[in-house]
Amino acid sequence: MIFRVLDPTPEKTAPLGQKAPRLDTLRGKTVGFISNGKEGTKAFFAHMEDVLRKDYGVANVVLRAKPNYSAPAPAAIVGEIKSWDAVISGIGD
Amino acid sequence: MQLASRTYEADSIASVQELYHSNGWTDGLPIVPPTEDAVRACLERVMMTPDQLIGIEPVRELPITAEKLAINAVMAGCLPMHFPVVVTAWMAMMREEFLMHGATASTGGCAVLVVINGPIREEIGALGSFNALGNSDRGTAVIGRAIRLCLINLMDVRPGAIDRSTLGHPGKYSYCVAEDEDDLAWTTLAEQRGLPREASAVTVMAAGAPRQIMNEWTTKPEEILETFAAEMRANLRHYSIHPGNYALIIPKQLREHLQAAKWSKSDIAAFIHERARIHRREWADVGKGNVVRDRGDSVYPAMQSADQLLVIGAGGPAGGFGAVIPPWLGDKSYAVTLPIGACVDCEPPPSVKGSVR
Amino acid sequence: MTTNFVSAAELMAKVLGMPGYDFAIIDHPVSSATDAGLRERAIAALKQGSAMLLR
Repeated sequence: MIFRVLDPTPEKTAPLGQKAPRLDTLRGKTVGFISNGKEGTKAFFAHMEDVLRKDYGVANVVLRAKPNYSAPAPAAIVGEIKSWDAVISGIGD
Repeated sequence: MQLASRTYEADSIASVQELYHSNGWTDGLPIVPPTEDAVRACLERVMMTPDQLIGIEPVRELPITAEKLAINAVMAGCLPMHFPVVVTAWMAMMREEFLMHGATASTGGCAVLVVINGPIREEIGALGSFNALGNSDRGTAVIGRAIRLCLINLMDVRPGAIDRSTLGHPGKYSYCVAEDEDDLAWTTLAEQRGLPREASAVTVMAAGAPRQIMNEWTTKPEEILETFAAEMRANLRHYSIHPGNYALIIPKQLREHLQAAKWSKSDIAAFIHERARIHRREWADVGKGNVVRDRGDSVYPAMQSADQLLVIGAGGPAGGFGAVIPPWLGDKSYAVTLPIGACVDCEPPPSVKGSVR
Repeated sequence: MTTNFVSAAELMAKVLGMPGYDFAIIDHPVSSATDAGLRERAIAALKQGSAMLLR
């Protein structure tokens, strides 16, 4: 007996995304952080800011934390990204 | 009815099993081969076309179609009569307030608790009696399993892929319970959440494993409920301080005492809301002093408001055993209740949130 | 990413249409790390990450 059975997974895959243009230098630039807001992230990003300013010459640092670490960043934060030269985010615990 | 999914041919039931296991399409247990006939029968039951959109998963904008739900439901062992519950549960899970991606990906390891109310319980033989949270009946077994297989196959919620659970719990195989409405003097859970009693309904909640309690030594409502509240306080201390939807499973033997004393579900919720709360400093007693800092006197209730408590009557006729089912992460994900309907052209059904109304 | 979430990051990059997306990897966990440990992680993240932001 032949069983003809169906694929339980979606056939569609996400369209390919494109990376934002890379920078020539970080010196004098504005870097935004999007934190998941978990325990330890405040001090971690404070160190990141310090190192970016001292060792990489970054001019401005903006820290935004997601109100819910298990959800995507809200539109208001995503909307701000355009006004930054670079954005750093992460996944972790 | 033209189905869109890719098809495979296998020459025996054993090779069907190996095909699905080797592709990572199962929960480890054998599946029912999802043939075109079986999938069509499910779709006909809910009067949906294969490409009917159940919703769009927001994180990756992935459309979820009725056909894919039906394939996974058949694999789980669902008959067409079970499929309306699966479809409605998925509609509820895709509501923004449920936060499906977070709830199913989290290291916290919750499962989706599905609660069934209304006439469909009798139709599928899910009566919420003996062994209500275990292998009570075929209907709840296959519906709960269908939810998990859909997550695995539609959203890559596989262990180590999107599912990052440290431990998970046995409810991740199947976590579905029907409320025992036969002698329920109370409102049903769905009524409590704003739906008419004659409607069949599904409630979904991102839930930890049941924590069982026992108190057979009193008939006083306050004493019975204090045992439940103590278990909730333990959860606040040992697991998570976040407030949110908790579910209480109250068996017949304890319901009879509460009903004899004329306590309604709202009375129970009000009492529990007062009793199930801790001081932040209690975290220091259980090894979590590092996060208490200077706010030790703050009071943390288990729920933001009394109506976040889901009071469910279920369980065999004898025994003073109840359960507290804690939320995954409290205020990050709310329970959603939707009526079961096969309407494809009408407005989406109203959802009832677990938050303050 | 913290080390224990690398496979999650790789999978999410793939399902969101950016397979092979580069990321910096630091030690897991952050939640119970000391302040000195967090500083080390910040330096390590930028050592790897700065190259990814530049041409």
